[in-house]
Amino acid sequence: MSVQLQLNPTKSSLPTWKFLWELMRFRPGMYLLFGFLEICFFAVFPQLIGLIVRAFFNSLNGERPLGLNVWGIIALLVAVAIGKTAATFSDVVVYFRFRYGIEALLRKNLFESILRRPGARAVPDSPGEAVSRFRGDVEEVAFFMAESLTTIAYTLFTFVAVVVMVRINLWITFLVFLPMVIVVYVANRAMEKVQKYREASRLAAGKVSGFIAETFGAAQAVQVAAAEPRMVDHFRSLADQLKLAALKDRLFNELLHAIFSNAANFGTGLILLLAAGSMREGQFSIGDLAIFVYYFEYITGFTSSIGEKIAWYKQVGVSLSRMIRLLGNDPPMTLVEHGEIYDRGDLPAVPVPMRSETDRLESIQVKDLSYHYAENGRGIHGITFTLRRGSFTVITGRIGSGKTTLLRCLLGLLPKESGEIRWNGRVVEDSGNFFVPPRAAYTSQVPLLFSESLQENILMGLPEDTDLQSAVHLAVLETDLTALEHGLDTLIGAKGVKLSGGQRQRAAAARMFVRQPELLVLDDISSALDVETEQVLWERLFGEGERTCLVVSHRKPALRRADQILVMRDGTIVAQGRLDDLLKTCEEMRRIWQGEDETQPTNAEVSIMNIVE
Amino acid sequence: MDIPFKSYWDLLWTHVRPQMSRFILLVVLLFTSIGLQIFNPQIMRYFIDTALGNQDGPLMLAAIAFISIAIIQQVVAVWATYTGENVAWTATNELRAELAAHCLRLDMSFHNDTSPGELIERIDGDVMELSTFFSSIVIRIFGNLLLLMGVLVVLFFEDWRLGLVFVIFSIITLYVLNLVRGVAVPYQKKFREATADLFGFIEERLAGTEDIRSSGAVDFVINGLYQSQHVVYRFWRKREMAFMLVRFLGGFLMVGGTAIAFVLGYSLFQDGILTIGAVYLVIRYVQMISRPIRELTQQAESIQNVGASIERLSDLRKLQSKILDGPGAAIQEGALSLDFDRVDFSYVESEPLLHQMSFSLAPGKVLGVLGRTGSGKTTLTRLIFRLYDPVSGTIRLGGTDIRQAKVDHLRSRVAMVTQEVQLFKATVRDNLTLFNRQIPDERILDVIRELGLSRWYESLPNGLDTELESEGRGLSAGEAQLLAFTRVFLHNPGLVIMDEASSRLDPATEQLIERAVDKLLENRTAIIVAHRLGTIERADEIMILDKGQVIEKGERESLAHQPDSHFHHLLQTGLEEVLA
Repeated sequence: MSVQLQLNPTKSSLPTWKFLWELMRFRPGMYLLFGFLEICFFAVFPQLIGLIVRAFFNSLNGERPLGLNVWGIIALLVAVAIGKTAATFSDVVVYFRFRYGIEALLRKNLFESILRRPGARAVPDSPGEAVSRFRGDVEEVAFFMAESLTTIAYTLFTFVAVVVMVRINLWITFLVFLPMVIVVYVANRAMEKVQKYREASRLAAGKVSGFIAETFGAAQAVQVAAAEPRMVDHFRSLADQLKLAALKDRLFNELLHAIFSNAANFGTGLILLLAAGSMREGQFSIGDLAIFVYYFEYITGFTSSIGEKIAWYKQVGVSLSRMIRLLGNDPPMTLVEHGEIYDRGDLPAVPVPMRSETDRLESIQVKDLSYHYAENGRGIHGITFTLRRGSFTVITGRIGSGKTTLLRCLLGLLPKESGEIRWNGRVVEDSGNFFVPPRAAYTSQVPLLFSESLQENILMGLPEDTDLQSAVHLAVLETDLTALEHGLDTLIGAKGVKLSGGQRQRAAAARMFVRQPELLVLDDISSALDVETEQVLWERLFGEGERTCLVVSHRKPALRRADQILVMRDGTIVAQGRLDDLLKTCEEMRRIWQGEDETQPTNAEVSIMNIVE
Repeated sequence: MDIPFKSYWDLLWTHVRPQMSRFILLVVLLFTSIGLQIFNPQIMRYFIDTALGNQDGPLMLAAIAFISIAIIQQVVAVWATYTGENVAWTATNELRAELAAHCLRLDMSFHNDTSPGELIERIDGDVMELSTFFSSIVIRIFGNLLLLMGVLVVLFFEDWRLGLVFVIFSIITLYVLNLVRGVAVPYQKKFREATADLFGFIEERLAGTEDIRSSGAVDFVINGLYQSQHVVYRFWRKREMAFMLVRFLGGFLMVGGTAIAFVLGYSLFQDGILTIGAVYLVIRYVQMISRPIRELTQQAESIQNVGASIERLSDLRKLQSKILDGPGAAIQEGALSLDFDRVDFSYVESEPLLHQMSFSLAPGKVLGVLGRTGSGKTTLTRLIFRLYDPVSGTIRLGGTDIRQAKVDHLRSRVAMVTQEVQLFKATVRDNLTLFNRQIPDERILDVIRELGLSRWYESLPNGLDTELESEGRGLSAGEAQLLAFTRVFLHNPGLVIMDEASSRLDPATEQLIERAVDKLLENRTAIIVAHRLGTIERADEIMILDKGQVIEKGERESLAHQPDSHFHHLLQTGLEEVLA
């Protein structure tokens, strides 16, 4: 099995600087303050120190620069250095405040975008890999922004330095800088390769963490199959690939660094060569030599980092693209949209859904609903049916017939391609935001819970004093609660792993019930329930009061209770009606009822074999 | 010193040792690089004195020598860095693999408490800290110490007063900085924990977007992000404050050093002991050691960082699985018999689950297990695999006590098909064989054919090399089940457990899989745990559990016809599910 490394992630069409500009504008005051401090730290103080060192050496030679003797110069040096240390303090304080602000903003925008999107296809890759965007890529951008100010400071320094040097000796300055500029230019072009290696390194790292997440998520399966050593071997090979990618990356970086450092030494050597004559004749003082060497080192250090910064800038572009990919269909600039990050500790209040008159369900009409998956073109089409208040509608059909797709499409978890949905006669524009509590709530086939307490999982943001008891009762959870060590306060572990499959399903059902939605939507909830528990659930659900339910099932108790059954096949409804009628008129219904197989594969069966239901 | 040196040694050095020759090369390169660095300023001193003193001398040659030595030094330095990085990666990759193997073998109570996100932080994050620590830090520390000592020696040669003053200075500086070093470790630990929590939170919520949305809980969960981020911020700030103390002191002391250099240099110059060139040399050397001393401070911070990582990794390694290998009794080939002999079990001590459970199953027979959720059905299957061990009692397979066998051997003789099929982002082949490269393709294809799954196989775009999405998204529930059955077949066990396997399929497709199951059950013992009576129809015997005890066991046919049996009663309530 070979591993393909994708080296060209899709680039966003917007230039990087646009995003960075928006981020700069996020907290302009802090950014400017930070910039000011950086300039002090990296430009002003080093300049002063350089000049003082020059003065010192010149005074050794007998001059009296600045009218001070040697002791005066030393005192001045100490004063400047103390000032620099003080500036460091404030610099650091502002630095991480600033960085945090950027990171928090980026993460918030990514997170919100994902959560507010139609739920079923929210994250393009696995959650594990998506997390690496929230970590590495976010940090990359924030870090770059902070460091970019350093670059600006250095530029100022360089400017002043060049002016000083030219005033000392134009000829030497020029002769020394020329070859250095050439070397630096050449090396900077080579920096483009750095991006390629860095990206490969990142991809390899993503593979490693993705594999760790999968393997440990499947720990039981691995243990049961005694597959630990093989998983570890595969892991080793992924880790080795990462090692090779990282080594290449590092080597290339170091080589380029070395070239830049050598530019400095080379320049120093040149200075020595050229200055020899002038020093002999006393035209080039030792102080001048000292400051030339000092500036030279600073400047080459800086220009080497320019190359890095350019490469880094490109890398930031890649990070931005990776994050934008998580935004789905939201416009790219959403990533850097300004907003509150609540870093002062007070959080926004969670709106409790208010129930209004129009929220009362009278009827739902679905007309010609369709959706197809991009990967293989399969999906649903021509879906038309009506639901009335208080009715129990069952959707049934064999695997691949589109039942779950229908539910998701109706609820806006998938964006519909065509068709119309009406609520009490009025057209619903945005299903995803409409079919949520209090109007509708949904329990999927494989519901997910979170590593909080059972109570928090069921409430999920509802006020603490909400009546849980009836929801728990409806979901047939009471006996389980008494069996659990801490009842509702039990921490249920990552993805609810401390509960059994049936308990998880019923907890998710309770989560749905507690919201008292007008429309209850369940996708094959009874799969993890035994015969008796399932019957109790249906009894309780229909025992008290009027409930409108839309359910996917092929179980006989459900089919019997149904007011209306929608039989699906190949992505469309082939029959609708009550059980008795359908058993007489619809072969597919009979087949499902009795669970017979066909001797010859039909189109349906062949399409079952294809990917994605 | 509060670096847990011993733990660090255990963790990393054992993996560095196999690379001895590379390591020695690294040391040699470092010495060379430092040596050249110290030598070069001497050329400058010579140059300055000769030029200012208006003497004759091969100045051109000196300049060229300067440049050449600088170039060679750079090359050696790069080589050293590369070698160091290589050593670090190789060693930490070994450590990663060791940790992964160790963790995978820990028992399920560990895995239930620990999310994969956390394990990524450990095996990836913390180990990466160790790697960076070694390649970037240990090596640099070593290089810096070497440089520092080299410079001090040379200064001594210039003038004993210079040497003495700066040795004292260096010692004081390093001592003071070391003193404040320990300040940030607890903050670092908390910071990493808060970070792990944040990303654990994000990962979980990203996986559950559908549930969040359809529960109308989006705003609530977004609030959760703000909360988690804020916690991270608070600890980050505290950590930075602690670090700043260290940096502050460092900067302060370095200023002192330069001032001392100026003062001493000037005095000795006045006394005619040093030439101007020599003063320049001294200043240059003092500037040269400011970087190592500064870096040693920063590296001290990194030592604090890594101290936390080392602690966590050591803790992780200390965890032992409660499930231990037996002496190595063999479990026989072919269909296995199963005996539960007065087995007691509970996950939590106060809540016993299985009570003196006892039953036997003859080889080749199929046992159907029924009972409510929580009656102990799933638990008993986990005990057979030794995912947990019973509190008391014995379980025997083919007459052998499973605790006497080695765990891997036991697990090679039994297999399980569960409702949730765990899949990986890898090829179909790797998913079927669970990365066992020993199994030839022909065998895989044979099994696929035997199970009647050829049609499905032909629909795959790339055959066995088709890559699946991570966690198997892109496969329907039915296809995932087919894959699970094929896996079990390739495993070739003597006992098969089907735990609620067919629950999510509609009856029409289920029949297809039933045929596969028929083949699977040929010459094998099987236990079928299900909720639906329909699934039980292929069982030879029935066992009904209630509250962790066997309340009924017998042949299915006879129990069905006994009016006072529990099984009969169940058939009545779920009457429709009985097939003729």
